[in-house]
This record gives sequence, structure tokens and C-alpha cells, in this order.
Amino acid sequence: MEEFPQGLQNSKDFSGGDSKKCQRTVPCQGYFAPQRIEEALEILSRYGKEIKIIAGGTDLLVQYYDRLYEINNWLDLKNIKELKEVKINKNQMIIGAMVTHTQLESSEDIKTYYPVLSQAAADIGSPQIRNRGTIGGNIVNASPAGDLLSPLMAYDAQFKLQSNQREMIVPAEEFFIGPKKTILQPNQLLTRIILPLPEEKTYGCWIKIGKRKALAIATIILALVVKMAEDNKTVKDVRTCLGSVAPTPIEIKEVRKKMAGKNFNQLDFAELGQIVEDKISPIDDIRGTREYRKDVAKEIMINALEEIDSARRERNY
Amino acid sequence: MKKQGRGIATIMFGFGYGEGFPDHAIASAEIEEGGKILIRTAAADVGQGVLTIITQIAAEVLKVKPEAIRIIPGDTHLTKNSGSSSATRQTFFTGNAVKEASEGLLSNIYHYASIEFRSNHVELGIKDGYIFRNDNPKNKLSYWELAERVKERGDSLKAEASFFPRTDIPDPKTGQGKKVYVAYTFVTQVIEVEVDTDTGIVEVLNVYTAADIGKAINPKNVEGQIEGGTVQGIGMALMEEQVIKEGITLNPDLTSYLIPTSMDTPHFATLLVENEDSEGPFGAKGIGEPATIATTPAIANAIYDAIGVRIYHLPITPEKILKALKEENKRGNKEGF
Repeated sequence: MEEFPQGLQNSKDFSGGDSKKCQRTVPCQGYFAPQRIEEALEILSRYGKEIKIIAGGTDLLVQYYDRLYEINNWLDLKNIKELKEVKINKNQMIIGAMVTHTQLESSEDIKTYYPVLSQAAADIGSPQIRNRGTIGGNIVNASPAGDLLSPLMAYDAQFKLQSNQREMIVPAEEFFIGPKKTILQPNQLLTRIILPLPEEKTYGCWIKIGKRKALAIATIILALVVKMAEDNKTVKDVRTCLGSVAPTPIEIKEVRKKMAGKNFNQLDFAELGQIVEDKISPIDDIRGTREYRKDVAKEIMINALEEIDSARRERNY
Repeated sequence: MKKQGRGIATIMFGFGYGEGFPDHAIASAEIEEGGKILIRTAAADVGQGVLTIITQIAAEVLKVKPEAIRIIPGDTHLTKNSGSSSATRQTFFTGNAVKEASEGLLSNIYHYASIEFRSNHVELGIKDGYIFRNDNPKNKLSYWELAERVKERGDSLKAEASFFPRTDIPDPKTGQGKKVYVAYTFVTQVIEVEVDTDTGIVEVLNVYTAADIGKAINPKNVEGQIEGGTVQGIGMALMEEQVIKEGITLNPDLTSYLIPTSMDTPHFATLLVENEDSEGPFGAKGIGEPATIATTPAIANAIYDAIGVRIYHLPITPEKILKALKEENKRGNKEGF
């Protein structure tokens, strides 16, 4: 027997075939924009997995583009001023998690001490994305192609993770465990990035290969940082970090062994390039084939070594 | 290593629907109250600038400033068919319809003014929206005053025109016809590229274009069309590719289906060849689609010139270049033995 539905029931019937799916089970409950870290940690301890942290939103809002309704609670970090500072503390550079890419690329200190990081920030997306996107967001998003991640590893960055119970400091290398996966717990917030101030004779090279000059997700990234001894010839230490060639940003440790203690003039660049090619495990995807990434990894390693060599020769001590 | 190369390509493009299709455009021009001349056309300006062109044409014919022209574009209640903004046809078709409607209105201005001045049109002069007898230019009537007088006579000061050229259906056996398209645009481009043989990345450095467009009604606009079209051609040559796997498009959005950005845009130098030799308004021809066609072959030729290896499949991606260079190396080594 058919009965014509009344009142509100009526409108419900017109909401489409799969109305249950579209209905929000839990309505949007909260939007928090605290001014202090402690408040943010307190909110985080209460909500845990049930809240989404938003910094610049350049990843989050794209991921949730057509399903923003799934997010019930928001923790917006935009009002926490102390997370927006770049400052030197003794022999360390402290970068707040809410520092934007634009801030990074325009900071004189970053340019002087960490040119590879500065250039990486300048190569991200577009001016609009750089104005919104943050270093903290880039890190916790943990994309294998994340532009800042390889430079941070190359400069021995450490991340400060805080919950309202305790805080811990972890090396960048231990933070990333898979594509978009990190050790960050739901009650933890990444608050600061800590970089040791580099020694005087430190050289760096940044190479990003993308499918166009702007607004391109990296096909392959190389951040190479070389510390030279007093004589400006002997390699003291080296970090060869790559992105988009493995599930996480990686360092090729074998290069350290090959280069440390050697005279830069006697290095075999082609051999070092070959090591990089052999040690990476890229996949075929829409941005490039495995074969292409392997070939190019070798070539850009050679190019980066040549660039560092000429920078080294130009400097007079 | 970075290697530079230079390539050339020439194209010809018959525009409009052609091939016997009843392609046409209708426009009207009228003197309206408030000191404006109203042009009605359904031509859609999707950024290519047809409304600017129409404004210029009407102002030129009617001898008024462009500010005096008002356009009602694309309104099914108020305008008649002008055909689609496609096939590189609007400047030619609607441009001609507007030109003829404006000429019709100008003729009517002469006609009614000759009655008002009790004179003959050859003795009348026109300047800045006024009509007068040449022997007494101080006694003048504005178009709008004249329109009032015409209204008092129970008539109105306006004209409508259509442009409806004939084209021939090509012979099905030979493909030949006397006039298959209304006109042809010719474009030659010389393009310089730099190829990084380590990464396979191609940078387009300089684009030199010579375009035979009959007459550039708005030269800046024509240059803009050529630059925009060339950048589309660069996309086709180097980037654009729909990737399909088991029936699913893997790059269905502009995050993954890449087109050039302003950062990928080369330097341009453009030469406009203006022989005013078509039946278009003031001899103009279309430039929309012809602007993109020469770019891709010119880039392919430039890459060949730079690295000595020819790539036959578009887009010419860094992967394809490295692979081709590798194979070339292997072949070279074998020949060496």
C-alpha cells in the first residue's frame, strides 16, 4: 500500500538513491585554532585520530577535495606564532613547523647555511602553493617525492615531536617509514625542525627533475651535501639523498664510504654515479619509468659532483 | 651535455567549415539612445578576442571611436546565429557580417541625411559621428539626432547583414574542388631548442613565426593567438599524453595531465605577413588553429638537429630521448667494430 510521505520525510526521499552514504554520521563537531602549542597538544590528546591537523592545506585539501565532509574535527595551526619562526640557537638552526616555503626560500640564513634547502623550497609548486605550504606539512605528508625531505636528510635534520605527555627528537632518516607513512603518533605534533649549523667548507647541490619547470611533482630529486676538510680538497663527509626513487626519501650510504677521506680531485665521478644508480629502487609510474630514473640518477649524480667541484675550485681560502 | 638545435615547419590551413557546409553569420547595427551604436552578434568570445575585432570593424566603418560601440553578444532572444567559435572562422564570418551591417547602417545614415539636408550623398561629409554638407560643415547632425528625425518619420536607423559564402564539396574521387574553403592561412615557424642529453629534457628557447594572415585587424591580438597556440603546440610536442591502463585513464586531471606553464614558455619573435588578399574583413584571415600546428613538427625537427636522432612518437618525452640516444650509442659502437 502506498502512502504519500509527509513533511521532512518527503524531502529525504528525494535526496537520491544512496542517501545513507551521503549522510554524515557524525556532524562536524569542532574547529580549533589555538594560539599556543600546549593548547594544541591538549586538543590532540583528547581527539587523537578523530581530528585532522591542518597547516597550509596544500596536501590535505587536495586529498580530501571531494570528501571534506569526512573530516569531523579540525585542528588549525595557523595562530601558533612560535611555529612560524626561523632562528639560530647556538650551533643549531631551529625552523618552526609552520614556516612556509616562501619564508624558507627568502630567508638569508637558510640561503647562506643550507642553499640546497633554499633552492628546494623555491622549486616547489607555484608562488601560491609556496605561500601556503609549510615545511612541517611537507614532512608529515611524507610523499616519496616531497621536495624538502631529501635536503633535510642531507643536512642531518632532526624533528621535534611533541605530545602533552612528552617530547622526543628523532633524526629525519628514522621518521619516514613508507610512502605517506611516518612514526608520528595521533597524539603527537611535529613542532620544530632542527639543523646543525654546517661547517665552513660545506658544499651542496640540488637537482630536481620534473616534467615541466613549475607545478611539477618530482620525477627524481638529488640533494648532495659534501663537507670538505681544512685543505678544501679532502672529503670529510658526504650525504647523497634522493627522492622519488624509493618508498621514502633515502640516503645512499655507500657513497660515504667511497668518498670519505679521499682527495676530491681523484674521485671517479662515473663510478659514484653508478653506485647511486645501482642502489636505488624506483618504480614505473606516470612521472617516469624505472629505467629512466635509474639512468638519470647516475647522470645527475655526476653533474652534481661536477658542480660541487667547480664551486670548490672557485672558493679561495 | 646540452645540445642546441633548430627546426622549421610550414603549414597551410583552410578555415571555416568549408566543403559545401551552409556556414554563415548574421549581425546587425543600429543607432541607439545614449550615444551608442549597438551591434548584435551571437559570436562567442571565449578569450580569443572576437568582440574586440568586431568593435574595431564597426568603429572603422562608421567612423566613430571604439568607445561608441556597444555589443550584445550571444543572447538567443536578442541576437541571430553567428555560427560557432570554432574552425578559426569568427573574424572572417562574423567580422564580415558586422562589416556589412555597419556599411548598411552607414548607407542609411547617408540616405536619411540627404533627405534632411536636401542634398545628395556625394555632397555630404562624415566625421566623428556627425554628418554634414561639405559646403556648410558647421550645420551638422549627429547620428543620434538623425536617428530621432528618422524615428519621427516612423522609421528606424539600423541595418542587418549576413555573410554566407559558397564553398564546394570536394570531388569524392579526387578530393579536389574549386573553392573548398573560404581562404587559407599560412604559417612558418623556426624553433630553437636545447636538449640535455643527460636527462633527456628539452627546453624550447626561441620561436620565430611568420604568419600570413591577410590583415591583422588587431596585431597584438594576433601575436597573442600565435603565442598561446604555440604553447599548446609545445604541450603536444613535449608533454601532453593521456595514459590509459586497462580502460582507465591514469591522468584524468591537470595535476597529472601536464600542459606547459608560463615558466615553460619560450621567447617569441613574430612577423605578420599582410597582403590583404582574402575575402575576409579588410583582407583578414583566421589565426586560431593555424597558430598551433607548425610548432610540433618544428620542435621535432629541432630535436633531430640537436641530437641526430629522430623521434617518431609524440610526445617527445625525456624517456624517449634517452632511450633513443642509448640505442644510437649501441649501434654506433657496433659500427665502430
